[in-house]
Amino acid sequence: MVARHIKETELAAVAAAWARSYRVLAPVREGAAIVYRVFSEDMHPFLGRPPTSSAKEALLPQTENLFTYKYRKDQADLTRTEVFLSEALPPEPTLILGPRPCDARGRHLLDRVFLERGVVDPQYKAHRAATLFVSVACTSLQNTCFCHWTGGGMDDETGSDVLLHPLNGGFVAKAVTPAGEKLIAELPEATAQTLASLDERKAAAQTPDQAPEQTPDLKDIAGSFLAVFADLDFWTDQSARCLSCGVCTYLCPTCSCFNITDENQGMSGRRLRTWDTCMSALYTLEGSGHNPRGSRAHRLRNRVGHKFCYHPREFSEAATEPSGLEFSCTGCGRCIKSCPVAVDIRQIVLDVLDKAREKAAETAGAKGEEAK
Amino acid sequence: MASDPFATGAASRMETLRSKIAQELANVDFVLGYGRGFDPLHATPVTVRNEKDLDRLIFDATCVQNLATSLYGLRGKRLGVVVKGCDSRSIVQLLQERLWERENLVIFGLPCEGVLDLAKLRASMDIASVKEARVEGSPRDGLLRLKLAGDGGERVRDIETRGLLADKCLRCQHPNPLVYDHLIGPEIAPQGAEDDYADLAALEKLSTQERFDFWKRQMGRCIRCYACRNACPLCVCKHVCLADSREPHWLSAEATLQEKWLFQVMHALHLAGRCTECGECQRSCPMGIPILLLKRMMNRELKELFNYQAGVNLDAVPPLHTFLMEEDRIKDRGLLW
Repeated sequence: MVARHIKETELAAVAAAWARSYRVLAPVREGAAIVYRVFSEDMHPFLGRPPTSSAKEALLPQTENLFTYKYRKDQADLTRTEVFLSEALPPEPTLILGPRPCDARGRHLLDRVFLERGVVDPQYKAHRAATLFVSVACTSLQNTCFCHWTGGGMDDETGSDVLLHPLNGGFVAKAVTPAGEKLIAELPEATAQTLASLDERKAAAQTPDQAPEQTPDLKDIAGSFLAVFADLDFWTDQSARCLSCGVCTYLCPTCSCFNITDENQGMSGRRLRTWDTCMSALYTLEGSGHNPRGSRAHRLRNRVGHKFCYHPREFSEAATEPSGLEFSCTGCGRCIKSCPVAVDIRQIVLDVLDKAREKAAETAGAKGEEAK
Repeated sequence: MASDPFATGAASRMETLRSKIAQELANVDFVLGYGRGFDPLHATPVTVRNEKDLDRLIFDATCVQNLATSLYGLRGKRLGVVVKGCDSRSIVQLLQERLWERENLVIFGLPCEGVLDLAKLRASMDIASVKEARVEGSPRDGLLRLKLAGDGGERVRDIETRGLLADKCLRCQHPNPLVYDHLIGPEIAPQGAEDDYADLAALEKLSTQERFDFWKRQMGRCIRCYACRNACPLCVCKHVCLADSREPHWLSAEATLQEKWLFQVMHALHLAGRCTECGECQRSCPMGIPILLLKRMMNRELKELFNYQAGVNLDAVPPLHTFLMEEDRIKDRGLLW
C-alpha cells in the first residue's frame, strides 16, 4: 500500500474533507483534558498526546438508545395493552481521528466480547461496521504506558484502518485496511526521502524491547491470580485507597460492561444501554439485597482478574506475545494516569505474582515439613 | 521550621512521624498514610500495618489526597490517619456530624506549607515524561526541579512552585491541623491570602446566558464516573446516592447535560455549610471540570448569612443542622406576632 503524507498545517483541512462523508470525532484540548468532539471547521484537532478518553465511545457510546416504545390501551378491553416498538436509527458513518495503537487494539478486544462469544450484539456490530479508526502512532512511551506488556507497541497496526506516523511536524499516513486505503487515496504520496527519515526516526527511538527488564514475565499471571484470589487481606491492602469511582472503567478502551434501563414517561419510553462500572457497589447488588462483591477489595479484585485471568482463560487459543496470553488490557495506562489516588494496575499485577510465589514457597515448605 | 521537604529538617520530621506511628501500631487496625505513587509527582495512600510498612511512608508537596475521605467507608475499625491542616477540617466536620468516633481515631497531624496542583503543571507540559522531581526550597516560593525524558535524551527543567500551588493553598488559613493526637513538626504561620472569591467574581461578571454556556461546555465533558462524589470526605451516601436511585427515579441513566448538571447541583447543595473546600472533587475529576466553584459559591453564601466556616471548630454546630429564632445576619421582615 502506498504511504501518503499530511502536513500538520493541513490536518484540519484533511479532517474537514473527511467530515463531508463521515461524522468525524477528533480530540481537542479542553482545560487539562483532551476529549473527542464532533469535528467542526473551527476546531483544531490535537494529536500531540494520547486523549484523556479512550476511543471506545465511538463503538460503545456511553448512552445508546436501543429502541423507543409506546403502550396503547385497547379501548374495547381496557385490561389489554398493546405495545409498539420503534427501532433506533442506524449509526452514522463515523471516523475517529487520534486514537493510539492501544485504543485500536481495544477495538479487537471489544470484538471478542460483542461479536465472538456466540451471541452477536447487533448495535455493536452496526457501530463497528460504520466506524473507521485513523490512529496515531506513538513516538515515546509515557510513564503510565505498558502496551509492550500486553503485546501492543508504539506503532502496532492492530485495529486501525489508517495509522498516522508523526514525522517533523507532519504525518506519514499508512493504510492498514482497504477502507483506510480508500480514505487516504487523494492525499499526496510520501516521498522516498520522507519515508527514509521515518525509518531513521523509528530506528533512533527507544523501543520497549530495548529495555527488557521493564517487561515482566506474565505467563503465570492467570494461575497466580487464582492462587491469591481468596487472600482478602491482600486485596484489602491493594484497595484501601480505591474510591470505588468509575474513572478506570469509563476511560478503559476495553471495559465493556453496560447496564440496560427503561426510561419510562407515562405510556411511552426508551430502552437505554449505558456504560456500567464494576467498581460500583450497585453493579452486583442483587434484588434480595445481597451483594456478592460487598467491598472495594472484592471489586478491585474483579477488575484485575477479568483483565489478567478470566479473559486469557476464556480465549486461551488467542496466544499473544510476549506472555503467550491475550489480556483484556492494552496497556494504555489511562486507569493509572487518571486515578484520583494513583492506583497502579501494573503494580497490582506484579504484587499478585510475588504473593503467589510466596504462597507456593510456603506450601512447598509445609509439605517438606510433613515429609519429615 | 524546615521548609524544604528534602532537607534534614524534613528527614527528621519523617523520622518523628515513623516513630509516632510505630508507637501507635498496636492500638489501631492500620494507619492510612502517604506513599510514593507510580511516578515522582504522584503520592498514593498506603496502609501501614507493621514496622516493615513504615518505610513506604513519605510526606511532601505531592501528598495531595485528603485521607479523611477513606474514613467513612472504614467505620467500625480503629484507625490512624495522617492529615494536613486542610484535611483535619474534614475530620472536624465528620466528628461534628457524628460520622466517626473520636476515640477510634489516632490523628497524626502535619503542618503543611502547600501542595502542588498537577493540573496546573499538566496545562504547560506532558507530565508523563517526568523521571525525577524534587522541590528546592519551600513549596510556596521555591523551584520544582524536573528531570524529563524526551526524544533527545534527558533534560532538566525548573518551574517556580508559586504558580503550581493548589488554589486552596494560596488562600490557606489553617496550615496546622486543628485536631490531632500527635503533632509532627513545629506549627507554622498561615501564609495564604485572605479569600477574596475572585474566581467567583470573574464568573459572576458574565451574563446569565454566558454563565450557562460556560457550564454547558464544562459539563459536556463529564463522564458520570462520580469520582467527585466518591473523593468527597463528606459525601457519605456514596452508593445510596440520589444519583443512583432507581426508585424514586430522580436521574435518568442517560449521560445528558441535564443529568450531569442536576447531580452537581445536588452535590453542592448537600455540601452547603459542610464543605471545607479541600478540593478533592475537582482534583479527582479526570475531565478537569471546575466543580469546586459551585461549592465555593454556597460557602460564600453561608459565610455571609451565618458567619460560618465549616470544619474549624469542633464545638460549633453547622448552621443548617440547627436553627436560631433570630439569626444575627438575617434581617427579619417583622414576624406576624
